[in-house]
Amino acid sequence: MNNYSQISIEKIFLSISNKFFFKNLNIKFLPTGISVIIGPNGSGKTLLLKVIAGIIKVDSGIVNIENNNKIRVGYSPQNIVFLRRNVYENLSYVLKTNGFKKKQIAPIIDSFLKDFKIYGKRNSSARNLSGGLAQYLSFIRAIILKPNLLILDEPCSNLDSKFKKKIEEYLVNEKKQKKIILVTHDIFQAKRLADEIILFNDGQIIEKNRTDKFLNSKQTLVRRFLQDNLL
Amino acid sequence: MEIILKAIDLIFSFDRDLYEIIFLSLQVSILALFISVLIGLPLSAFLAVKDFFFRKGIKVFFNSMMALPPVFVGLFLYILFSKTGPLGFFEILYTPTIMILAQVIIILPIIVSITTDKLESFFFEYEELFFIANAKDYEKVLTILWDARFTLLTSVFAGLGRALSEVGAIIIVGGNIVHYTRVMTTTIALETSRGNLVLAMALGIILIILSLMLNSFALILKTTAVESKYE
Repeated sequence: MNNYSQISIEKIFLSISNKFFFKNLNIKFLPTGISVIIGPNGSGKTLLLKVIAGIIKVDSGIVNIENNNKIRVGYSPQNIVFLRRNVYENLSYVLKTNGFKKKQIAPIIDSFLKDFKIYGKRNSSARNLSGGLAQYLSFIRAIILKPNLLILDEPCSNLDSKFKKKIEEYLVNEKKQKKIILVTHDIFQAKRLADEIILFNDGQIIEKNRTDKFLNSKQTLVRRFLQDNLL
Repeated sequence: MEIILKAIDLIFSFDRDLYEIIFLSLQVSILALFISVLIGLPLSAFLAVKDFFFRKGIKVFFNSMMALPPVFVGLFLYILFSKTGPLGFFEILYTPTIMILAQVIIILPIIVSITTDKLESFFFEYEELFFIANAKDYEKVLTILWDARFTLLTSVFAGLGRALSEVGAIIIVGGNIVHYTRVMTTTIALETSRGNLVLAMALGIILIILSLMLNSFALILKTTAVESKYE
């Protein structure tokens, strides 16, 4: 069995409160590696991630994920919510609800906390963490089940360089075994990580291409977006 | 003023009859509360988590039941459990058992209505998290009940306060039998009509002290939770 899966979105329509967000949207992601979605605020990036993760149901169209029943999805949202419990319990919750036994849970969590160098926060209240640490913990929660589809909504926007580097290292090391879809506003991060970049605006794809081709695109909106963000 | 002083004197004289009444009141109300919490909290959590056809109808029913006059509950149970009534064979009329039953009927709607509203806001906050964690319905129910435990204390104590202060129903079904079904509120009603204001006042003072103690306890627990950032 493949560890990854071809993900495609076909003819998606989505309206919320009578306003259309996606009209006949079609995307076929690369089967492995990191697909980075960039675009201005309010362009529908987060909504798209929620559609792929299955959190939001579309009005019509298909989100096609091959081997859907065998796929484990990890999702780190933009608006992070933790249980009113400590760091350890927040991570163990995800493992418990996915059938892990009590004896298995502690070693898994401790190894992640040590690897990501926040073992000292093990017993701290998760809701009391700083914005950056909360984001970091949300990322760890997303990967703790070792998902083969990882969906990340601006996972590094509040992180310091040390934590950002750690996450990027993880993504680069894991990208051959996983499909990673990442939303970011950081064009430099997109350049560092992406195998393909998708520029999204107003619920539509402006440009989707492999990173090198995308960065050399002659498309006016791409050029303008890159100039605005690189300056 | 003289009545109040005599009442305080009576409280500190540790009069056996007085304390018998107090203990029976507490016993009946706490048992009624325990049963109501046992039924009410899981039901509220289920109503908060699960959307089904009769959900709104059940919520409207419990909201309406909050306004149910206790004397009507007493009358209804009296007819039901009197010797000639359909459930007369239980022979529980004029016993503490039917007083507990009456109090459950009165406080269950209060607990269900207040806690459902609170648990719904917890569920709304955790909905995406539950999706990420792939939580099953029973796990969602247990999670919001546990995480909302400090918030729910207020509704539980509101139920206990209502039970302790109830008089209309239990005077009908309990009969206010001395040394058997006589509780604080029914004694206050009886002794006031007899002109024995000292005993009535002593019981009134104790009811106020109990109410203050319960609310202080709820406030301390809630403050502790907020300070530990688990709220």
